[in-house]
Amino acid sequence: MTQRILSAHPISRRKLLTGAALGAAGAAAAPWFARHAQAKPASITFMRESAYVKPFDDHFQNVLAPAYEKLTGIKVNYEIAGAGGAAVARAIAIVESKAPVDMAWAQQEWLYREGLADVSDIAEHIGKTQGGWYPEVTRLSKWEGVWKSVPHANIGQVMVYRRDWFEEAGIKKFPDTWDAFLEAAIKLKAKGHPFGMSMGHGWADNNSWLLPLLWSFGSEIVAKDGKTIHLDSAETAKAVDYVRTLYQQGCIEDCVGWLDPANNKAFLTSQISCTNNASSILISAKRDLPEMGKVIDHAENPKGRKGRFHSLVPVTHCIFSQTPEPEETKKFLRWLMEPKQAAPWYASADMYFAPFMHAYDKSPEWNKEPRFKVFQKVLETGKLWLWPAPADRRAGQTINTWVIADMFAKACTGASTRQVIADAMTGLKQIYGKA
Amino acid sequence: MNPAAEAARPVPQAAPVLRFLRPGLRPGEWLERESVFSWLMLTPPLLFLLAFLGYPFVYGVYLSFFQRQVASEAQFVGLGNFINLWGDPIFWQAAGNTVKFTAAATVLKMTGGLGMALVMNQNFRLKSLTRALLLLPFIVPTVLSTVAWQWILDPGMGLINRLLIVSGLVTTGPSWLGNPTLAMVSIILVNTWRGLPFFGISILSGLQTIPTELHESATIDGAGTWARFRHVTLPLLLPVVFIVTTFSLIFTFFDFQLVYVLTGGGPANATHLMATYAYSLSMGSGQMGLGSAAALSMVPVLGLVLVVLARYVRKE
Repeated sequence: MTQRILSAHPISRRKLLTGAALGAAGAAAAPWFARHAQAKPASITFMRESAYVKPFDDHFQNVLAPAYEKLTGIKVNYEIAGAGGAAVARAIAIVESKAPVDMAWAQQEWLYREGLADVSDIAEHIGKTQGGWYPEVTRLSKWEGVWKSVPHANIGQVMVYRRDWFEEAGIKKFPDTWDAFLEAAIKLKAKGHPFGMSMGHGWADNNSWLLPLLWSFGSEIVAKDGKTIHLDSAETAKAVDYVRTLYQQGCIEDCVGWLDPANNKAFLTSQISCTNNASSILISAKRDLPEMGKVIDHAENPKGRKGRFHSLVPVTHCIFSQTPEPEETKKFLRWLMEPKQAAPWYASADMYFAPFMHAYDKSPEWNKEPRFKVFQKVLETGKLWLWPAPADRRAGQTINTWVIADMFAKACTGASTRQVIADAMTGLKQIYGKA
Repeated sequence: MNPAAEAARPVPQAAPVLRFLRPGLRPGEWLERESVFSWLMLTPPLLFLLAFLGYPFVYGVYLSFFQRQVASEAQFVGLGNFINLWGDPIFWQAAGNTVKFTAAATVLKMTGGLGMALVMNQNFRLKSLTRALLLLPFIVPTVLSTVAWQWILDPGMGLINRLLIVSGLVTTGPSWLGNPTLAMVSIILVNTWRGLPFFGISILSGLQTIPTELHESATIDGAGTWARFRHVTLPLLLPVVFIVTTFSLIFTFFDFQLVYVLTGGGPANATHLMATYAYSLSMGSGQMGLGSAAALSMVPVLGLVLVVLARYVRKE
């Protein structure tokens, strides 16, 4: 019977091709119709990097996006790119291909800020109404007098250590200077608890201690003018020698090749006693390893001859120039940054994302976990990568081709101080020489 | 001309390309013609290849002659990007690493794959299951298996160091991804693990085409196992081995995912390959022109491999 029906209604090649062509045309045109059938956009697409703190993503998807849809009828599509650099590549691809993405929760916008819309009205309004901005981040977001992004938060990076093991080694207080830090590392390693200071091809956990160390030793990579390369100095040589000694005498061998997730893994598996990281290690331990969670603590970076420094890992909100709905996207961003929405969102991640607005300085959220208070200090002493040089594409290229991290890693794996500085200078000249 | 002579005159044929446009055919009949239908079927994949391979390649060549940063106007620099790379020590380090990585991994996969095929060509219990299991490294997504390798190679918790310590060979396991030499060894081994099934299965299919009569004749002539392998099996397998090796060379030369996930090219660029370096320049640093030039610098090598392959296939 089936055979008879089929043979009575044969599908000819013509029908097959016509059907396929109509189907393909319909599928291709559907998003256009969805977008243009009404005055208001049906949706806004928001790209962001996957957060290490899952409740932060959950809060957005389960609370904020539905609330905005209920208020305006506009659905917010949340596009999550993988953590660890993938979001930067995705943002570059969006800008290059003019993909239909309206806005992003961005990192390293210095690489693609020419593809971003002017959001000065929002940034200035928030600055005025929410206590003003921490100044260093404005060097990133405000470019040539125009705000190209609205600062959102800093992912603070500090020293994370095992208080119990430090106390066992007779160290009651976390070392205040780099010299004391080295002594502690040697002591702890001798007891089978080495430090694990990342120097591999990651983005945050390597730079977050290597750059502050350079600065506190008095070294400067590139001058404020963005032209003069200052790396080749006696201070840099001292910093390189220091890191080599720290690595050889106080660290786990593996850390020279670590990517960003590696020190979390090593710490949570009790292979190391100290590293430089965001609060994700403590958050994971409290959730999954409560006994370890009780003995983990945070401390500011040690200080050197020139003082104490931290590096900022800022995340900002930006709107892509190609968005067909700039005004609607701006309305959404304004709504999102209002304290009514933003404050519970920051709180959902236990202030892992530290707000750049002074209005949050006295937020009760900072007191819920005393061990997180140190991340507030990072906002005060934190500098953008390659400070004091301008936060431009060349700074981004220096970081993303690992010129500085490799200088230290090479020294740790056998190269001479003179050679590694010369190699780094070659890299910097390639980047800054072609300004 | 009389009507009979006119009728006898041959009817002129349309040129082959235009034959399907002959008037008088209804659209249905026109579509049913092989010459029309075959082109209709060929067009979508051709357009797909042009769009997703042809266009990016040509655009990449175009970009390599420009200083072109993300979302910025392009400035023509001629061979400037290539000259820039010529003076870049990381470029040369990545090129050297790529050659070492490709050569070592391909030789290991070829010899290992040959051994795997010879074993799988024997009759033993659970042969089918074993063949299916040996395909796993090839089937599992690279990113997923590489994350598993991160754990396997972990200095403290990793399986390899645990085995070394338990067996009493060492008291402290080495740093597989922290030591520059061992990091290169590690990525070669992981690539070999992933690529072995491709060699094994391809060579096995070649083995199964060798007539058993040849082995029987050789045995009657007094050839032992090694002599049969050396003078019967290997010569008949060479075409398959050659083609599989050439394809593998190309895949290995352009490997990206494995290194990107396992080491990111570190420590100190010890495992940076051309693919990861080109990516860090373009997608990591927004230097689209320079990144394209780095990626294109691999093309002559690839072209050479393809020429060798084409010549060999034509000779066969």
